[in-house]
This record gives sequence, C-alpha cells and structure tokens, in this order.
Amino acid sequence: MFRFENVSQEPLKDLTFTIEKNEKVILFGPSGAGKSTLLYLFNRLHDPETGRIEYKGKSIREHSVTNLRKNVGLVLQAPNLFPGTVLDNLKYGPSLFDEWDESQAKTLLEYVQLPTSYLDRDVNQLSGGEKQRVSLARTLANSPEVLLLDEPTSALDYRTAEEIEEVLEQLIDEQQLTMVMVTHDMNQAKRLGDRGLFIMDGNLQEDGRIPEMLENPKTKLLADFLHD
Amino acid sequence: MTPEISNQSLAFLVIFVIVPLTLSYYYQLGLSKSVIWSTIRGTLQLFAIGYLLTYLFDLPALIGIPIMVSIMIIVATFHARQKGKELPYAWPIIFVGLIAVEISVLSLWLITDMVQFRPSEVIPMSGMIIGNSMVAMGLALERMKSEFKENNGRLLAALSLGAEPKQASHLIVQRTLNAALIPNIDQLKTIGLVKLPGMMTGLILGGVEPVMAIKYQLVISLSIFSSVSLSAMFVTLAMYRFFFNKNKQLLETEEEIRSRS
Repeated sequence: MFRFENVSQEPLKDLTFTIEKNEKVILFGPSGAGKSTLLYLFNRLHDPETGRIEYKGKSIREHSVTNLRKNVGLVLQAPNLFPGTVLDNLKYGPSLFDEWDESQAKTLLEYVQLPTSYLDRDVNQLSGGEKQRVSLARTLANSPEVLLLDEPTSALDYRTAEEIEEVLEQLIDEQQLTMVMVTHDMNQAKRLGDRGLFIMDGNLQEDGRIPEMLENPKTKLLADFLHD
Repeated sequence: MTPEISNQSLAFLVIFVIVPLTLSYYYQLGLSKSVIWSTIRGTLQLFAIGYLLTYLFDLPALIGIPIMVSIMIIVATFHARQKGKELPYAWPIIFVGLIAVEISVLSLWLITDMVQFRPSEVIPMSGMIIGNSMVAMGLALERMKSEFKENNGRLLAALSLGAEPKQASHLIVQRTLNAALIPNIDQLKTIGLVKLPGMMTGLILGGVEPVMAIKYQLVISLSIFSSVSLSAMFVTLAMYRFFFNKNKQLLETEEEIRSRS
C-alpha cells in the first residue's frame, strides 16, 4: 500500500519501510520522535525533504493531492470539528467531491455508535468523547482505504478511550481498512495492532509483529522504552 | 454665517494639552514626550494639509483631484501594509484594492450626481473612503493572520479530508469578513443617537442646515459601509492563498509564508 524509501523530514532522519494492504500498524516511540510528522507525510499535509513515498506503486506526488487525501483518511489528535452541526461535519468531505448521500449519515453514526438524534446537534454541545467519534465518522464519510490515527484517545478518560477503541476495532475489521495509528498506550497497541514500528531519534529502530515485539524486544532501545 | 475660531482662542488649546501632560507627570506614565511631540506634529500636519487643500481646491479639478487622491492612496497603502509585512505582495494588493474601491465609489457618486467633480467635494469625501478602507484592510489582514493561527487544526482537518485551499479557508474568510463588517453595522444602527458623526458635526458647525448635513452624512456613511466591505473582501480573497503552497499544504510559520513567493 505504502512504501517509504529513505524518507527524511525533521525530526525523521532516514526511514525505509513498506506497509501492506489491511495491515494494522502501530507507530510508537518517545514524544518528539516524529510520529505525527510521519502521519502527515502519508496524507501529504507535508512533503518529505528527501526520499520517496509511494502509494499503490506510484509516487504520492503523481496522485492528485485531494484524491490521495480522501483515500488516505487522517484523524487528528484533537477532533477539530467545524462549527455547525454533526451533520455539517459528516457531509464536509463527501460534499467536496459531490459524493454526499443523505442516507450515509445514519450509517456513519452507527459506525461510531452515536444515536441518529445527534445529527442536528451543535458540535459545541458534544462531550470530548463524542467529538472524537464525530471526527472519526467525518473521516470515514470519505470511504478511505487507509485510516491514519494520531493518538485518537489521548485526550480522553480511560472509559471513553476504551469505548472508542472498541469502535475502531470493529470498524477496521468490517471495512477492511489499512490502519496506521500513533499511540503511547501499549495496551491499546496490543488490542488494535498487528505490526509495530518503533521510532526513536528520528530512525526506525525496530519493526516487528505485535504482541511479540512488545514482549520480546530485539533491541535494547525498545526494551528500555517499554521498561520506562 | 461662517463661524471662525480666532488665533487667540486657538492658543488656549494649550490647556487641553496640559491635562494629559499633568496626568503623565503625576502618575509617571512616561508619556510627556509623546504628548508634546504628537501635539506639535498633529498641529503642523493639519495646518500643512489646510494650506495644501486651499491650494488644491483652487486648481482645476482634473489636476487637483488626481494629485491628492494619489497621495492619499500611496500613504494609505504603506500604512495598511504594516499589518501584513510578512505576507508576499501585500503592498501591491492593498494598492490595487484601494484604487479599485476609490474608483468604484467615486464613479457611483459622480454618475448619480451625489457629489460634484470639484476638489472641495471629491477630496474630503475620498479621504474618508480611503482612510476607512485602509483601516479595514489592515484589520482584515491582522484578523486573517490570527484566524489562520487559531484555526490551524481545523484547516489541517479540512485539507486532510480533501478540501482545496479555497474551500478550507472558507471559514477564515467568513470570520474575517464578519469581523470587518460588524463594527460598521453597529455604528450604522446607533448613528446620530449616541454621537453625531464628525462630518455632520462639521457641516452643522459650518452653518449647513441639519437635514442637508444628514444627506451628506448618509452618502458618506453608506459609501464607507460598502467600501469597507469591498476592501475587506478584496484583501481576504487575494491573500488567503499565500497561506498555502502549490501542493495544497498549509504554511505554518512566517518564514514559510514569506519565502512562498
């Protein structure tokens, strides 16, 4: 699906890896390692200083930027909802491509387990967890093939985080999505991921299966990181 | 009757300066120098303009008007530009914008016979249009910059969903225009009730009938309303694109924006 070849972009130094279709990849490492930067590269919100990124066998520069962004959906760390109602937010993406269909709204809310009565609700009236669900549904409205998640539960309390996790788990299986998620929560990584990329000091330090790599780290760096 | 303030009376204005000066001294505001300097500068500037206007009003309209209007537009451009220094092409955009606004408002005045093509009418009226447009453009630039900063996350969210920069900036443009128009809307609502507008006050003091003065005031107030809207819209729509690069990526630092061109 994705291929990174010697990609660098402050603070990332020299990354080479490939992500296959339907993989559930967890990006983890210390704060400031460049994990969010990496997600922005997938979605082309940033371009790398050097190196090459391929999506479906073609450089991402050869894809139309807007179509690439539609197909490689990104859920930002903060919900960043647009002012207006839940419905306004859900139809934002599809409307950009003239693809909005009113019947979608109900399904989208079902995906993120919110009642349909929420459609007309003003986003200012939502709780933190509800906002994050709407943000997720807004990205899903574009029917992406890849879902990039930047610490989607980091701002939420434990219980709400767990609920969102359940939503995600179900969604990714049902929709056959390829997922790349940044998280600091190793239990979450175990529950949602099947492959881990450990990034530290701008480099890819370890690439392995989850949960194996978390239980038996190969490098001392990862062992120390998990120990802390 | 044309009222006149004698030079002796004018000299007593010094009293009005002594008040802030005393305050500054008593509370150690450190503003004494600024108070004196701004008073002297303001006085000299006004007298100079007074003499210049007297001279220009005597010139044929086709010479006096273009000279003074050009000076006003140039000064206004450099003043408004201060608010958008880090943006590329700020001054040409403001310059063209001011010319466009002035030409459209002036043509409407002349075509509908609201204002005669005489320096004594066109110059002061244009001054109000250009001055207010200058403030509106400066405010719009500042507001736009702060909205871009404040809505960084929303802009990224919009882009990440596949929005074109224009679509992603829609909210920013909306808020900037809103902020530019609201003070004018409020002003129009209370016009004459809270304070008499300066121009009307001037005309009444000059001996013009209040109803006649109101007619002029209406022309100028509504013209300002429309030129302020035009100005804010013009700079906002011309400038939002400088916050993005050609790959539809949001530029987040001043350096990135400055080096965009």
